[in-house]
Amino acid sequence: MSPRYLIQGALVLIALCILLSGCARKPIVRPDVPQPQMAAPYPPGMVGEQDLQVVQTNLKTLYFEFDKYTLTPESFAALQYDAEVLNRAPQLRVVAEGHCDERGTSEYNLALGERRARAVVEQLAALGVAPARLSTVSYGSELPADPAHNEQAWAKNRRVYLRVVR
Amino acid sequence: MTGKGRYTDRMVVLGLVCMLLVSVPLPAASKLVLDVDNPNLAKMPIAVPDFVSSQPGTLSGRDLARIVKNDLYLSGLFHIVEAVPPAASGPGGEPNFDGWSQTGVQALVLGTFSVRGEELVLEVRVYEVALKKLEVGKRFTGHIRDHRLMIHRFDDRIMKHLTGVDGCFCSRLAFVGDAQSREVFVMDYDGHGLRQATRTGAINLSPDWSPDGWSLIFTSYANRKPDLWGLDLRSMRMDPISARPGLNASGRYSPDGGAIAMSLTAKVSPKLFILTSQGHIIKRLTNGMGNDISPTWSPDGSAIAYVSDQPGTPQIYRIPVNGGQPTRLTFGSAYNTDPDWSPRGDLLAFTSRVNGRFQVCTMRADGTDLRVLTDKGSNQDPAWAPNGRMMAFTSDRDGKKLIYIMDVRGEIQVPVSPITGKSPAWSRNLE
Repeated sequence: MSPRYLIQGALVLIALCILLSGCARKPIVRPDVPQPQMAAPYPPGMVGEQDLQVVQTNLKTLYFEFDKYTLTPESFAALQYDAEVLNRAPQLRVVAEGHCDERGTSEYNLALGERRARAVVEQLAALGVAPARLSTVSYGSELPADPAHNEQAWAKNRRVYLRVVR
Repeated sequence: MTGKGRYTDRMVVLGLVCMLLVSVPLPAASKLVLDVDNPNLAKMPIAVPDFVSSQPGTLSGRDLARIVKNDLYLSGLFHIVEAVPPAASGPGGEPNFDGWSQTGVQALVLGTFSVRGEELVLEVRVYEVALKKLEVGKRFTGHIRDHRLMIHRFDDRIMKHLTGVDGCFCSRLAFVGDAQSREVFVMDYDGHGLRQATRTGAINLSPDWSPDGWSLIFTSYANRKPDLWGLDLRSMRMDPISARPGLNASGRYSPDGGAIAMSLTAKVSPKLFILTSQGHIIKRLTNGMGNDISPTWSPDGSAIAYVSDQPGTPQIYRIPVNGGQPTRLTFGSAYNTDPDWSPRGDLLAFTSRVNGRFQVCTMRADGTDLRVLTDKGSNQDPAWAPNGRMMAFTSDRDGKKLIYIMDVRGEIQVPVSPITGKSPAWSRNLE
């Protein structure tokens, strides 16, 4: 192969890298700050691992009151934000993982965790996220975020965590 | 006939009648009138001296007797008398009944055994001390490694013969680990012979035995969501039974093994469904807005008790399997879960929140006669033994979750799991 083709190929490659690196570093827009029109959603099949991680870190966890599965005003606001994030990444599916604190019994906590997760996905669907993208997994009280046995830990454990997957 | 003759006839008849009365065997003094509700039930005093052998091999007569004593003690129906055996009387080395009688025992278990290589021959006799009578005599031959099962089998016979109640000493418990390992484990009801039944590397919950004792169903996160799986304990093969979207939880076999009741997500809430044992939905059992979970079948298969939080907090309901309105059973505490229907049909055991902690309770199948059986630490998730006389449950009174067993009155409560564990299920009695 002639060295000229090699140089041309290298130049194209470098140009491509610069272009793509620029795309990869585009930040997610936070809705409470006025921003210009967002870029179009990711083209099909082109969600990179880095993009998935960015979406994941931007999603807020929803918290619940003791023995309750209804959304608090804070949770509702967080969910609106999450819906915006998810609507900008329509190629990603979402698993709502429902959890409880340790103060209930094991099987009922499975039901309560599931009910919490369902409450979240119902609300996400109402906010425009396609239902086909949404599913629920309850862990009951089996996977606490904080294993301590006090109010602060329990409050952290009564949660629905949104996990994005391809 | 003269008057004197008639009088004589009457005396002869009276004499004959008296003789008949005396020769009819009296009801055995040791047979208990078993009434679970009787707070004054007197336990039968029984002694089990160390088994004797001229060829003990690797077995200890003391350990063999200990297995018997443990079984009978845990049943809650016997008072084990530890007494120095009086000298044997009689040319055949018969028991010294008078000597034993002075120790206060009503029944006596004497065992002899011999080991030849790997073969164990066990001879056990049960005597009624007051009647000086051999009640049960049995010889067992088997492999030395099965010595515990051989003794458990005999203890079932002792129990049945002396009390009329079926023993459950050959049954097993399944449970899930609570600490590092969340796998499903199986052990003898008394905690021996622990085996790990699953190797999923995932969280596993709520095992239930098939009525024939050959398989388990349980919820597993092996596929990163809560699905109902079956495990054949002979082949050790795991197969999915229900892997529907959402929750597939608290699967419970019907008493005839033909159906499984379980909780599946229906639109927004977990609701109860009846499925075939292969996992095909037969029908939806519960309706309404509550979150429904933890079904338990009545022993005749006609009704199911379960948990629903439709009234705002989790409470126990019952509903006919063939359809009909649910009836609420619990009202007192704001939190009642984990119902298990006694195989005798009379009682439901369940978990209730009492003064901020969980306790195991029983109530009649109509919700009356509530009894709190535990009070140390937090106790939950009761599972009845097949004879309806004992229960397994989870307790954290030792600082970590262990499987405990107790008699139906809660008088005797002992830990049995050698590792941490929760969510026990009690198998049928294996013959």
